[in-house]
Amino acid sequence: VKLNHKHYSLIDKALSRRSFLAGAGGVAAASMLSGCSNDGTTTVTAPPTSAYTDADVLNFALNLEYLEAQFYLYAATGSGLAQTDTSAPTGYTGKYSAGTVITSSSTAGANTVGKAGVTGTGPTALTAAQSNILNEIAFEEQEHVRFLRLALGPAAVPMPMIDLTFFGVLGGVLTPAQTGFNPFLSFTNFLLGSFIFEDVGVTAYLGAAPLISAAGVASGYLTAASGILAVEAYHAAYARTSITATGSSAVIAIANSIAALRATLTVGNTGAPTNTANTGNTGQVSTAASVEVPLTLPTAGSTTPLTTITAADSKSSLAFARTVNQVHHVVYGSATVGTAKGGFFPNGTNSIFSTTTA
Amino acid sequence: MATLETQILDDVIVRSRRKLMTLGGAALAGLVVGGSTEKAYAASYSDSDILNFALNLEYLEANFYYLAAFGCLINTPNAAAIAAGAPAAGIPITGSVGTAGTVTYGAANKVPFTTAVAAYASETAIEEGKHVLFLQSALGSGMYIAQPAINLDPAGAWAMLVTAANANYSAVTIPTGFSPYSSDAAFLVGGYVFEDVGVTAYHGAASLLTSSGNLSAAGGILAVEGYHAGLLRTAINATDVANGNTTLTGYTNSISALRAALAASAQTAGGTSATVGGVNYDNNPDDFGLATFSVSLAGMAGFNSTRITDADTGSTLNTAIAFSRNTNQVLNIVTGGGKVASGAIKTTAATGVFFPAGLNAGPNGFK
Repeated sequence: VKLNHKHYSLIDKALSRRSFLAGAGGVAAASMLSGCSNDGTTTVTAPPTSAYTDADVLNFALNLEYLEAQFYLYAATGSGLAQTDTSAPTGYTGKYSAGTVITSSSTAGANTVGKAGVTGTGPTALTAAQSNILNEIAFEEQEHVRFLRLALGPAAVPMPMIDLTFFGVLGGVLTPAQTGFNPFLSFTNFLLGSFIFEDVGVTAYLGAAPLISAAGVASGYLTAASGILAVEAYHAAYARTSITATGSSAVIAIANSIAALRATLTVGNTGAPTNTANTGNTGQVSTAASVEVPLTLPTAGSTTPLTTITAADSKSSLAFARTVNQVHHVVYGSATVGTAKGGFFPNGTNSIFSTTTA
Repeated sequence: MATLETQILDDVIVRSRRKLMTLGGAALAGLVVGGSTEKAYAASYSDSDILNFALNLEYLEANFYYLAAFGCLINTPNAAAIAAGAPAAGIPITGSVGTAGTVTYGAANKVPFTTAVAAYASETAIEEGKHVLFLQSALGSGMYIAQPAINLDPAGAWAMLVTAANANYSAVTIPTGFSPYSSDAAFLVGGYVFEDVGVTAYHGAASLLTSSGNLSAAGGILAVEGYHAGLLRTAINATDVANGNTTLTGYTNSISALRAALAASAQTAGGTSATVGGVNYDNNPDDFGLATFSVSLAGMAGFNSTRITDADTGSTLNTAIAFSRNTNQVLNIVTGGGKVASGAIKTTAATGVFFPAGLNAGPNGFK
C-alpha cells in the first residue's frame, strides 16, 4: 500500500503541531499501518545552511558513537566510557564541554556476567552467549569513539550530556505502550534498545558520507566512515535477526512500532547541508515512512514470507540514507523544526548541525 | 520524474568520471592494486570497470542464493522464486559486453530447510538479485557485462574450497563432500564464504565512488552486504549455541583463515591499504571467524566477546572498522589464488574455483 498525498498531508499537519512527547505515537501507528511501500526516495537539492568542515561531519558521527557506546557499555558493565574517552582532547579550542550520562538505578548493572569472575548481579543474568555478543557490540562502539577521537585529534568534540533514561519516555508512545521501557532489564529489552540505534547508525553514515570533501576523501576519512558504516550494518543485522528469531509477534510488534516512530519523526524533515563541491547531489534520502522496513515473522522451513533482516529499498535493495537533520530529529525524539536539544541529548549534540530544520 | 536508476546512472557515468579526474591516476592505482608500484596496470581502469567487477560478484552471489533458496538460477526463476518476489521474466544474464557463461551446479538443489533460515535465504536471494539488476541498470546499455561462467557445484568449486581451507588451516577439518545445499546449517556456512568478501570489496571501492550519488549507491550496497554478513554470522552463532557445540564456528575460522591468506598473498609490497590519521586498520590477517576473544570495556579488562562483526579488532589499536580489500585481493579470493603464481601477480585475468573462465571484463578490460 502506498501512502498517498492525503496521508502525507495528514501526517505533516499532525507533526507540525505536536512534538514527539506530545503524543506522536498515534501518528506513528497510523504511519506503520499504511506505510508498506519502499520506493519513496528522492534526491535532495537543498542548499547548505552553513559552512562546515570534514571535522564537523566526523564530529556529528562522534556524537552518535558516544550515545551508542554509553548505551552498550552500561548494558554490558554497569558503567560507561572512561573519562579519557569523553573529555575534551588536549589542545581542544572549541566551545563545548564534556557532559554527563543520566542514568537511573535500573540502567546500571543489567549484565556483568560477561566479566571474568563476576556472575549474575544484574536484574536478569544473561547466558554466556548473550553476554559475549553484548560485550562485542559494546567494545566495537567504544572503539569507534576512540578511533574518531584519534582521527579528529584536537578537533574532537567532548561527549555531550546523554540521557539513558529517555528509553522509558520513548516506550510510552509506542503501540502498544511500553511505559517505563527499560532496555537494561532483560536481553529481549536490550535487543529492542539496540534496535532503536543501529538502523539509525547505518542511515546516518550513509547520509553523511557524501558531505566529506575531496580532501577528506584523500585523507582516508571516507574509507574510514565506510568501514564504520559496514560495522553498523553488522550490528543492525544482529539486532534484527535476533528480534526476528525470538519468534514472538509481540516483540516484533514493539520493534515495528519503534521503526514507525522513527519514520514519523523524519518524514517531511529532509533539509540538510549538501556538499557544495557536488552541487545538487546528496544521494538518496528518504522522505517517506518507507525509510523503515518492518520486521516480519518467518515460517519455519518456508521461503515465504521473506524476512526483512536487511533494511533497504524494496526496488534496488540499497540501504537508506538519512540526512544529519533527520538523524537529529530521531535522537531528539522530536519532529518539531528548530529543536536544539531533547531526547537522548538533553543539552543537544555537540555539533554544528545540532538544531533541527525542516 | 527520473527513476532512481536513471539518477544513479547519471551519477555513476558523469560524476565519478569527474571524480576520477580530480583524484588522478595515482589515487586509482592505489585503489586497484593497493600500492604505488603498479601504476602501469591501473591507468586504464575506470568507474565502469569497478562496477562491472562488482557485478561479477553479484552474479555469483545471486545464483548461489537462488539455487539454495529456490533450486533455480536467476535467469530461469521457478514458481517458488517468483512467489518470493523474483522477477517472473528472470534476471538478464546476457549483457552488452562479453558472452553469457553457464552456471555449473551439479547436484545442487534447494536446501531442505526446516527452520527460519529458509526465510533468511529467500530474502538474501531476492536482494542479491536486485543488486544484479541495479548494477546492470546503473551501468547501462552497452556498458554492463554478461554473466561470467560460474561454478557452484558441490563436487566442483565447493570441493576445491574445502580442500584449500583444510590444507591452509589444520585446526579444523571441514568434511569432504561438504555441500552448502544439504541443510540449513550448511547453507549458512556457504553464504558465509561470500558475504564478508562482499563487504570488503565494496569498502575497498568506496573511496573511488565518492562525493556524489554513486557513493550513496555503492555505500547502500555495502550496507546491505553488511546486513547479510551480520545475519549469517548471527545465525551461525545461534545455531552453534543451540547445538551446544562449536562446529560451525570452526568452519568459519577455517574459511576466514583461507580468505586472509589469499588476500595477503595478493597484497603488494607494503601490504596495507587503508589508513587515516596515521592509523592503519587493515592489518593482516584481515578476516576473523566467529571465535571469542577477550576485550576491555569501560576501563576494565577480561570481557569475553564474540565476532559477529568481521572488523579490525586484533591490532594494537582496536578500530572496530570493517576491513577493506582491493580488487586484486578480492579476485584472488574468489578464484582461489589464480591471480597470483609463485608470489607474483599475473597480468592475465585469473580463473578458478567459482569463476572457472575468469571474470567478465567491462569495455576497457581487466588486467
